[in-house]
Amino acid sequence: MIGLDTAARPKVTTGEAVLRWALMLLALSVVLGPLLWELGTALKGPDESTAGFPGNLVPSEPTLDNFVAAFTQIPLGGYLLNSTVIAAMGVTTNLVLATLTGYALARIPFRGRAVYMAALLATAALPFEVILVSTLLVTRGLGLQDTLLGVVLPQAVAITSIFVMRQAFRAIPDELEEAATVDGAGPFRVFLRIMLPNVKGSLAVITVLGFLDSWDHFIWPLVVLSSPENYPVNVGIQYLSGTFSADQRVISAAAIVVILPPLLVYTVMQRHVFSGLAGGALKG
Amino acid sequence: MTTVLRRPTLGAPIRKAPAPAMRRHRWYVPLVFVGPVLVVQVIFLFTPLANTFVLAFTNVSTIGGGRFVGLANFTALAQDAAFWAAFGRTFVYMACTVPVIVALATGLALLVNTKLRGSSAVRTLLFSPMVMPLATVAVMFQFVFRSDGLANQLLIGLNVIAQPLPFLTSSTLALVSLMIVTIWKGCALSTLITLAALQNVSEELHEAAVLDGARWLRRTWSVTLPQIRGTTVLVAVLVAIGVLRVFTEPFVITGGGPGGATETIVLYLFTKGISPGTQAGYASAISLVLFAFVLVAAAITWALTRRGRA
Repeated sequence: MIGLDTAARPKVTTGEAVLRWALMLLALSVVLGPLLWELGTALKGPDESTAGFPGNLVPSEPTLDNFVAAFTQIPLGGYLLNSTVIAAMGVTTNLVLATLTGYALARIPFRGRAVYMAALLATAALPFEVILVSTLLVTRGLGLQDTLLGVVLPQAVAITSIFVMRQAFRAIPDELEEAATVDGAGPFRVFLRIMLPNVKGSLAVITVLGFLDSWDHFIWPLVVLSSPENYPVNVGIQYLSGTFSADQRVISAAAIVVILPPLLVYTVMQRHVFSGLAGGALKG
Repeated sequence: MTTVLRRPTLGAPIRKAPAPAMRRHRWYVPLVFVGPVLVVQVIFLFTPLANTFVLAFTNVSTIGGGRFVGLANFTALAQDAAFWAAFGRTFVYMACTVPVIVALATGLALLVNTKLRGSSAVRTLLFSPMVMPLATVAVMFQFVFRSDGLANQLLIGLNVIAQPLPFLTSSTLALVSLMIVTIWKGCALSTLITLAALQNVSEELHEAAVLDGARWLRRTWSVTLPQIRGTTVLVAVLVAIGVLRVFTEPFVITGGGPGGATETIVLYLFTKGISPGTQAGYASAISLVLFAFVLVAAAITWALTRRGRA
């Protein structure tokens, strides 16, 4: 588990504090600058120029019209609905499949387990782009092209999630399982009643990661979907921003709305995001 | 990490306690747990992967048909100037972004590894780009780099330039602009990983260096950074693999333009093998070449981390 508490350091001199803050503010302005400019653009009325530094960065008469237009003039609502359906399905499949598989890999011996584990390790490094063309042919063959299910299934489970769950189940002491077995609990009862409650933290981690992944996916939905009414937010915004009629203010407002859900999850579940992303990289 | 290898001495067999968790279950129990994932992975992972190797030796189009053509795709690929241009461009992209991201991530991690009041809020904000969807970030930067976008507004406002720079319409600058987006987005996760490693650095060595009178720069360079070298290498390889796959930035921001100046390997693969009627066989050959390079990068990671742990 990775906690981001900083190392105990007895005293910070004033000089160090000033220097650190100066550099941190510089770094923050580079990270937040484009985002705030985008927000400023989204809040500007149609008469106000999006250009004109430095006098014109802050909208003089902030308006929410562009956010309304994002839902009325462009089909942001539909995109959001598609993304939500895809994320709900993707988070569920990832949660269920990774938990079952991780449990079997950690605690249930079966013929070919070592081979399967080796296959997972080998494909963990496989970039999806390598099998993009083949996966598209398979998905077309199954008649799933241009469906939300076709978006979800090829990326239904992340191999890193399987490894996270395997680690979590391996950490549970054997005595716990023994005691339950002696009491007459079968393997499924042990799994549901004894094991699952002990890995709640890891379940939260793969849920959060599953959502962030799903919201970020771009190339696969772009490839498998052909009707704009099926587009998730990423593909939809990119599609609209390329059209001639695109109003920069409305697209900016829509982009802000699209960035908000993952940002909200990140703010609330920061520890899980950190441990999932940093921990996964360090252990993987 | 140390592993103690103990060899059983002859004549004195070590009694191995039977692992209780490993007892046999009835045949259907494992099936319930791994059956579902096997179905999904056989259809959407193992079959497409195997099929890529088959398709690469055929002239199948994305709507079907085709026959075995041997190495024809690979010989054609070897003479495909557009592919080699995309290939070289992707490596230039990698050579420029990886060192910058690693250096920035290390610097930023050292910077925010402090207990200063308010620094945890700084960390939260600094790491936030890692959760933002890349495609939407790319749409945002498309506006930033327009002739009247933020980048030009800033540079003109600060009197650095008189005329707007053609960030997206000049062939050299367009690639640089895309790299800036990759760096802006990629620094967050790299910094997080580096910071996590920094917090495992032994305090004692650091204190000993302080007692020896070593100054901050010297302590950091000679004591702290060597201890996180393994992580630094890992970050570099992760970023490198990510950049080999770069697609979203050029697709969204420049569409590969101007005049193919920002076309990368995956973007080329996309134009060759996705639309109905295009060459799935040829695209599969490109995929295999991409896969070979990712494997090389993964092998390097493996070798380096193994050496680091030995």
